[in-house]
Amino acid sequence: MSAPAVRARGLRKRYDGIVAVDGIDFDVRTAECFGFLGPNGAGKTTTMKMIYGLAAVDEGTLEVLGLDVARRRREVKSHLGVVPQDENLDKELTVRENLLVHAGFHGMRGDDAAGRVDELLEFSLLGARAGARTPELSGGMRRRLLIARALVNRPDVVVLDEPTTGLDPQARHTLWQTLDALRAGGVTLLLTTHYMEEAARLCDRLVIMDEGRILAQGAPGELVERYEQPHLEAVFLHLTGHRLDT
Amino acid sequence: MTLALPDLRIALRVWRRNLRVYSKIWRNTLLPLFFDPLLYLFAMGFGLGTYLATINGVPYKEFIAPGLCASAVMWGAAFEMAWNAWFRMEELRLYDAMLVTPVEVEDLVTGEILWAATRAVIYGTVFLIVIALFGLVDSWWALAMPPFLFLGGLCFATIGLAYTSLIPKMDYYTFYFTLFITPMFLFGGIFFPYDQLPGWAQVIAWFTPLYHLVNVCRELATGPEALRVLADSAWLAALTAGLFAVPVRAMRRRLVA
Repeated sequence: MSAPAVRARGLRKRYDGIVAVDGIDFDVRTAECFGFLGPNGAGKTTTMKMIYGLAAVDEGTLEVLGLDVARRRREVKSHLGVVPQDENLDKELTVRENLLVHAGFHGMRGDDAAGRVDELLEFSLLGARAGARTPELSGGMRRRLLIARALVNRPDVVVLDEPTTGLDPQARHTLWQTLDALRAGGVTLLLTTHYMEEAARLCDRLVIMDEGRILAQGAPGELVERYEQPHLEAVFLHLTGHRLDT
Repeated sequence: MTLALPDLRIALRVWRRNLRVYSKIWRNTLLPLFFDPLLYLFAMGFGLGTYLATINGVPYKEFIAPGLCASAVMWGAAFEMAWNAWFRMEELRLYDAMLVTPVEVEDLVTGEILWAATRAVIYGTVFLIVIALFGLVDSWWALAMPPFLFLGGLCFATIGLAYTSLIPKMDYYTFYFTLFITPMFLFGGIFFPYDQLPGWAQVIAWFTPLYHLVNVCRELATGPEALRVLADSAWLAALTAGLFAVPVRAMRRRLVA
């Protein structure tokens, strides 16, 4: 049995005296899709940021692929793909250049980079728009480009923070199919969402978070059974006393 | 926290991203920044200069021309590390995008500074060519100027990025330019010898990087005393090295706290 893809023990993070993540433990297995479900402010994004290095770990341990993120950050990041919640595409560059430049940040040059970029343009259905600047793309296309960008370095683990927020149903479905294809390829996926349907549709296992803590974890069906509720939304209400979308 | 040294190979990845963008837009950006000192040369050198015979035996136009190469470097680096860096950091969120790859904060800072210095040396060198065409350069040593302009660019870029890393809002650039960059431009020894300043002002001027870069440029354009050029350059290098930790620490606090 290899090391878990991601392992957290007693993970804690404070911002200006406010506890954003309050001592959480979880293990993400290799090649599964693992979800963080919870309302805004639950600590999901902070947890993701600690994984991909945009937030420092205050207390506890956090390992990605068996590597301590605090000590071996550069190495961890070379194995990660990150789809941030806030779009940060390079508006000064075209679609293709966004991918090429990001490949450059990962140290890929020349034919290696160009070949990978062509693959990803095809995979994300953006081949026809390769020469467009990113502000000219639709919301769904921009999100697909963000995912393609995250895959440039052939990551073992991809972290997606609210990947479908703000997308229309059709774009959301296209994106789900993209994520299915990734999973089929053996990539470990971590995603945060506040959509129950999305969590149930995509995740092998998930944790329910509220106010920086993990309230429950397990497979979506298992949680529904364990708490004797009709669906995930009711599980959340049962555990927290409030609805997820408030 | 100890200061991690940058990985130059990775810093150059950041530099190459900026070069790629610049290669598309350079025609539009070159003219304004390059016109600025050119206008000063015309107004002061060919306008005011006709009322002034010479300074230290040098015709006024020739006195100010090399200093304007230095100021082109200063303005170029200052703009790049002010609004342009702010745009990349806050509007594009490009720094966040880079920092989830193997690029670390110290690499990012180094790449940005190297880039601003590159841009600055382009402006300074173009200006050097212009003044040479006007016949305002006396010495072949002027051909050795670009590496020194690059050093000056590194110094101004480090100061500029340090400022950007510390300010909460881009409104603060007004202070930076009116209280720091413009006074250096006016009193850094470009338009009159700095020994005309009162003693206390000379002390302040001596501590500014522009003063030393102006000295280097003027020496090289008129036939240098090697020792003076080296002393001024050493001062610029020391200031750059001494300040480098400031943007690294502040950016780390800002971006990956």
